[in-house]
Amino acid sequence: MTAHVTATGFARFGKRPEGLPELLVEAGEAALAGVGRRTIDLLVIGNMSGTVLGGVENLTARVADRLGLDGASGYRVEAASASGAAAFQAAAASIESGRSERALVLAGEKMTGLPTADVARVLALSLAPSEVAAGATMPALASLVAQRYQERYGVPTAAFDAVTVAARRNGARNPNAQFTSPVSVEEVAGSRPVALPLRLLHCAAISDGAVAVVLERGDGPARVLGLGQGFDAMMVVDRPDLTSFRASRVAARRAYESARLTRKEIGVVELHDAFAPFALIDLEDLGICGPGEAPGWFERTQGGRSGPVTLNPSGGILARGHPVGASGLAAIAEVARQLRGEAGATQADPVPKVGLAHSIGGLASHNFVEILGRGDRP
Amino acid sequence: MTGGRDVLVSRCTSCHGRFLPRAGPCPYCGSREVAPESLPPEGTVLAATELVNPSAGWPSPHRLVLVELAQSVRVLAIASGPLPAADEVVEIQRDGEVYRVVAPPPA
Repeated sequence: MTAHVTATGFARFGKRPEGLPELLVEAGEAALAGVGRRTIDLLVIGNMSGTVLGGVENLTARVADRLGLDGASGYRVEAASASGAAAFQAAAASIESGRSERALVLAGEKMTGLPTADVARVLALSLAPSEVAAGATMPALASLVAQRYQERYGVPTAAFDAVTVAARRNGARNPNAQFTSPVSVEEVAGSRPVALPLRLLHCAAISDGAVAVVLERGDGPARVLGLGQGFDAMMVVDRPDLTSFRASRVAARRAYESARLTRKEIGVVELHDAFAPFALIDLEDLGICGPGEAPGWFERTQGGRSGPVTLNPSGGILARGHPVGASGLAAIAEVARQLRGEAGATQADPVPKVGLAHSIGGLASHNFVEILGRGDRP
Repeated sequence: MTGGRDVLVSRCTSCHGRFLPRAGPCPYCGSREVAPESLPPEGTVLAATELVNPSAGWPSPHRLVLVELAQSVRVLAIASGPLPAADEVVEIQRDGEVYRVVAPPPA
């Protein structure tokens, strides 16, 4: 593939007074500061619910106007909580096709403007209507998934606690994270129940925020090597196995195939841990470990700190925050920063050569994988 | 023989997978050839959870149970009574567009 990431920018995740367009503009300005805006010919915005959560329409023209990108083309892309990844893949395809030279990819969400119960209802709009009719929410379905995983592989809830502790440990080094303080196992295990076995600190927060990536034709340390996405049944009850996400497995297989490499070459991974057990399932779906092996892998590598694969150096969703439409692009941005050696306090040592970003849309009905790295690696 | 309390499901005539009636093709093989079938309303609890902060419009706590009927048909059912444990056998019944766990008789 012929596109590579040349700049990233963040509008810090957390509870922010600004609206969605302002957050996107802030992230865009940060990314463009180093590279200029005159040659941007494509603006793609990933966003899940600018209309209901953000209270705004015509997002792309609004942001183009504010950023002075009136010479570019653009559109908004939606794939639930993987919208940011979908926007990146759309921009990469446009460059690959020869239609665009230099794209600004933005992704963001404004979530704290509504009460929590209303946010839960809006997030549930990305689930199957028949399951929402029964009162299903994201945490409820994630709890059922977690229980099936625990039952099948004999995994104690302490394994989920360890995921959150590692995430918050990493997030404490990320100045763009929503949560920059570490937590203890006792704090996670003692946090209030949300949908047992899931407790508050096993679950993503409600966040505002935005992220930006400049993607342009050419070669560099963060070149797009492979892309993949996959679907799964909308109804969770229609999935024969809840201990693995088919959409992730398909996305990963396609990304590995298009990159012509295997998981053994991956040096850094940013995966979608909106719920702590998902980090374990993701590791298995991405082929980093075999089925049921993720808890052991996690323990052996101190949560991906000491092994050959650096895991979620940004802190992942559990620490970084989860402005849903932004998270897929935030994972890509962190991988690009790692590969470019620009990750500051979160930088893996040595600088990884190949990285993988993973994003889950809905309750894993539309998942995405991007593999970035050097085109000229040995 | 099918009883009045039986659960109506769809059977794919191509792959023979069973699933709850749905818009769209068979979730397992994509075939659009499906036939109605009835299953007994008893199933095994695969997982169950109590949602402390349900979506707007639902009382707290809201209890949801993943039940597996015969032929591996899975149903997400609302439990009004106590939360059943995994592997427990429960009876479900259709109630409008949702399914409910039938409350066990008082001890």
